[in-house]
Amino acid sequence: MHHANHFYGHAHVLARYAGLGDGHPPRINGYIQHGWNIGDGLAPGHPYAERTPSLLWSEQTRRRAWSVGRRNVTVIGAPFVYLLATARQPGPAQPERAGTIWYPFHGWEGQHVKGDHRELIARIRDTEPGPVTVCLYWHEHRMRRVRRLYENAGFRVVCHGYRGHWWKDTDPEFLHRQLAELRRHARVASNRLTSAIFYGIAAGCEPAVYGDPMVLAAEDPTFGGTARIRRQWPELHGEQVHLPTAVEIARAELGTDHRHPPAALRELLGWADPQEETT
Amino acid sequence: MTTETAPTVALPGGEMLAWSDRRDGAGDRPLAALAARLVPAGARVLVAGPHDPVLLDALAHARLTCLLRGYPDAAAIADRVDRVLVAGPHGLPTGEEYDVVIAGAGLDAVESVEGERLGWDGLLARLVAALRPGGDLLLRVDNPLGVHRLVTATSWYAGRGDAEWTVGGVLDTSLPANLDQARARLATAGVPAGSCYAAYPRPDLTTALLSADQLSRPTASGLFDAVLHDACTEGFAGQFVLADPARLAVDALHAGRAAELAPSWLLLARRATDGPQSTRSEQPDSPLGGPDGLPVALVRAAAGGGVVEVLDEAHGWCWRRTDLGDRSGPTPTAYDGRPAAHRDPRGPQGPVPDGRLLRSLLLDGCLRRDTARLRRLLRGYAEWLDGQAERGQLTGAVALAGADNLVVAGDRFAVLDPSWRAGVGLPVDVVLARTLWRFATELLAGGYAHPWTSTLDVAGLTVVLGGVAGRDFDRAVVATAVQTDATVSVALRGPESDRRVDPDTETRPVPPTGPRSYQQMYETWLREREENTRLAALLRWTEELLNARERALRRAEAKINLLSGSLSYKVGRLAITPARMAKRGAGAAKRRAREAIAAKRQEQTKREQK
Repeated sequence: MHHANHFYGHAHVLARYAGLGDGHPPRINGYIQHGWNIGDGLAPGHPYAERTPSLLWSEQTRRRAWSVGRRNVTVIGAPFVYLLATARQPGPAQPERAGTIWYPFHGWEGQHVKGDHRELIARIRDTEPGPVTVCLYWHEHRMRRVRRLYENAGFRVVCHGYRGHWWKDTDPEFLHRQLAELRRHARVASNRLTSAIFYGIAAGCEPAVYGDPMVLAAEDPTFGGTARIRRQWPELHGEQVHLPTAVEIARAELGTDHRHPPAALRELLGWADPQEETT
Repeated sequence: MTTETAPTVALPGGEMLAWSDRRDGAGDRPLAALAARLVPAGARVLVAGPHDPVLLDALAHARLTCLLRGYPDAAAIADRVDRVLVAGPHGLPTGEEYDVVIAGAGLDAVESVEGERLGWDGLLARLVAALRPGGDLLLRVDNPLGVHRLVTATSWYAGRGDAEWTVGGVLDTSLPANLDQARARLATAGVPAGSCYAAYPRPDLTTALLSADQLSRPTASGLFDAVLHDACTEGFAGQFVLADPARLAVDALHAGRAAELAPSWLLLARRATDGPQSTRSEQPDSPLGGPDGLPVALVRAAAGGGVVEVLDEAHGWCWRRTDLGDRSGPTPTAYDGRPAAHRDPRGPQGPVPDGRLLRSLLLDGCLRRDTARLRRLLRGYAEWLDGQAERGQLTGAVALAGADNLVVAGDRFAVLDPSWRAGVGLPVDVVLARTLWRFATELLAGGYAHPWTSTLDVAGLTVVLGGVAGRDFDRAVVATAVQTDATVSVALRGPESDRRVDPDTETRPVPPTGPRSYQQMYETWLREREENTRLAALLRWTEELLNARERALRRAEAKINLLSGSLSYKVGRLAITPARMAKRGAGAAKRRAREAIAAKRQEQTKREQK
């Protein structure tokens, strides 16, 4: 299995939905899109075997992937929508949603973000009406200096976990933790339109995208970068956005309607006759 | 050669004594049904050229004279008709007139090798002369650019067969090359054409007659779609062709061109009573086809051979059974003794539901990768099945009708031909899986583009389609559906149609019945090549990954080895390891130095030699 299929515990979420239990997921016959992106759905720079199926989130991404030469591209929807189908619905005992969960745009192990966190904190304070939870990516969370900045601003600081790298230390509970946090908040916000915003909308939060989008070191300009994101999805940018429109866009981008039933998913992932033990 | 002739057989000249036009497998039941409608009791009918004997049976109420060029053909039918003339066109007695003239094999088959050739116009003039004023002519005209010509793997101009003592074709301007030219020639000859039928699937085999006027309307009728597809699939079964004729015919239907691409046309013309320029509307005679008018379509029932008509009535199109009923034997039973399906031997009756054929809608959705549309269609179908089930079981026509026998108008589903019915109750999921398995087979075997991965086999694709329909059934249900399909096929078409496969081991689609086309082979080759490319890339990737994982494993084993030993072993390893690594490094450096010195020496030696 491609190691990126394990990011954020995606393979685990899909295996559980497909009825294969909570054990180690069997190898997937294809590449799962591991985050919302404006390209072909695959992470640039990752090695891929030609014509191996790309299992993408949305129809729009499928068309785009095809147009840039990808073949064997199929829409299955985001693993998060499979999680929503299996995760227990919040019961009446669940405390009422309050405040905002804020996701400062993050880099990753290979690309770090450059930007002024203080300026961003001031903007968040000026904008958000209620208590703010800041969710940092794992390596920024480990950077004491960055974490302190947000803590000292009076924000609650959390991290959903480590997404895993080369099959190591994958946290299968990553998305579960993220969903639980999203369901505690009324709003979800970020300085860039990212997966977390779409997850938040799908989990029932009002979205907002504002503030300095920051700069990613050696950002790949092939698909247009943040400028294009703002041009193509202006409805999702701003401190307040029209919720029904946002819900509709999130539904399309996460491919909610493309979610397959367990048996069909097993076929598409090559799990109809798994060769590995899953427990 | 001495020949003893039967009393009804006359040889007035131009006969071909050893020639026969009879062909095995030829059939023209729809023409017979149409002729039976046109010919009133006691009418004088001239049947010019070779015809299926069923036509003679259908016209038993009339006084039949047959004009045949081959003597063996005449001898074979002598006891079924009033008179047989074994002759070329010159043998028709001058002055004799008929109420109806039928040339259902075209005019070429009337011409004999003996005597002077008359050519197409001359032959037409001769037959028109034998028609009484106001009499009806039923004439077949071959299309030089029909579906059959477009898909044939052999060239039309290379004919060397016995019947090809001349090769007619589009270069011969004496032949009408299209429908308009045929109408113009008939009008000039004094027999203006009225209705016209497109005859499919081959010039020498007609299993479907479809109204040319209706075909030209942009309706994309589900009925015509199904009829054209079935006729062309069965009509070219086992033949090697360039492209799938069924695909071409259905595409032509959707483009409003199925009449123009028909392999042949059947024209109904009436001899003018007041000069060659009269038009049909001026005719005082009764309308053709009796009080019901002419049918929209005449179709040979798939399994039996009976003919059913489609009439255009006030409330819409309607099935009507003809006297040319089913001649097949009793419905075969499945291997377990119980009939899985049975058929009303008289064919369908009642209204023909309008709408587009589900198969075409699904194919369109797959080609456009319009999964939202596919979801709507398949969920609608699944819910429609649910709505008719009793305790989860379906019976009757609904249980057997696949995507090739269902029409969709808006959100409404209906069975096109309800004459086939399930003999036993079938679970809804099995009915759905059978329809989807048959469609998946066609999709993969036909090489159609679709929105899913190339890694799916037929059973896998069926499960995925079931998911699109909102059902979560697995391969076990597909396996049951495949067995059910085999049982039903045996009941429908006999034991030779048993195409049972094991869905667990079958990775490639079973080619559906029908022709084998060059395009299909080429597409299969392309898909196989793509699969090989994919698998080769996957193998390279896996090799690289395996190497990386083996290195990681060796590191992990070394670490485990170190951690699992005794304290003195660990201390010893820790002390020795740097020394071993240093020794290994020194050895490598020494090797490199030696190689460098050797290379330099070689270079120096070469310089000195120069």
